[in-house]
Amino acid sequence: MSVRLVVRTFSELCITVGTLMVLFVAYVLFWTGIKAGGATDGQIDRLQDEWSQGPFAAPVPERTVPPAPKAYEDGKPFAVMYIPRFGGSWDWPVLEGTRAGTLKKGLGHYASTAALGRSGNFSVAGHRRTYGDPFKDFPKLRAGDAVVLTDGTTWFTYRIEKEPYRTVPSDIGVIDPVPRRSGFDGPGRYLTLTTCDPEWGSSHRLIAWAHLDATQPVTDGKPEALRS
Amino acid sequence: MYGWIWRHLPGNAWARAFISLVLALAVVYVLFQYVFPWAEPLLPFNDVTVDGAGAAR
Repeated sequence: MSVRLVVRTFSELCITVGTLMVLFVAYVLFWTGIKAGGATDGQIDRLQDEWSQGPFAAPVPERTVPPAPKAYEDGKPFAVMYIPRFGGSWDWPVLEGTRAGTLKKGLGHYASTAALGRSGNFSVAGHRRTYGDPFKDFPKLRAGDAVVLTDGTTWFTYRIEKEPYRTVPSDIGVIDPVPRRSGFDGPGRYLTLTTCDPEWGSSHRLIAWAHLDATQPVTDGKPEALRS
Repeated sequence: MYGWIWRHLPGNAWARAFISLVLALAVVYVLFQYVFPWAEPLLPFNDVTVDGAGAAR
């Protein structure tokens, strides 16, 4: 075997590995976003179809407690989230469960936590980067920012409590019914958002807490936080 | 390696170039469709949950 052949094969291998790396970076940076874009649009369309076909519940006036939601089906969308701070066109489906496959299609609701709008802590996880970067601007959240959700019958407006809190991945207390270190001192209707920190890493988590500020039936139109 | 493939492709230079292109596209397709989705969870971008909640790790 000649030296020339060895050197040539080695160079070709190096070029191949380099190309592979570039392709993988392109996949992570762009292709996952394109895939997620298609998947989330599909999920939202599906929800809207479901909501438009379902028997239209007559609005129940004078009720502060929204009607009990159906049990969520694992891996299926059940709500749409809007966060005006992340931009007017920012809308993401919320799916039941936080498995990796579920989080590729949208935000994931921790199955062990309260249902949307109910007493307890409605907790949702989302990607900071890749798969459409839903929580890319997470650190920009500030006290008073609206997090609006709809389940097809009711609009829920949550208000962020304070700037995102940085913690370690094992800190499960942040999604407790009365989350630790959130500043909430009693039971209530809370919302917790979790994502990773730093942006491309996994050593920490960023947590944002919110409390339920207002609800209104969808028949009353969009909540104030989305009108602007 | 690539020279060896080139020599074993049939046809004239144009046909070989065409087949090479198709082969390259096929490789990229397999990578994006199967290999990268498998490799990606091994990297830390997927860890967005706090542990213990049946969470994606």
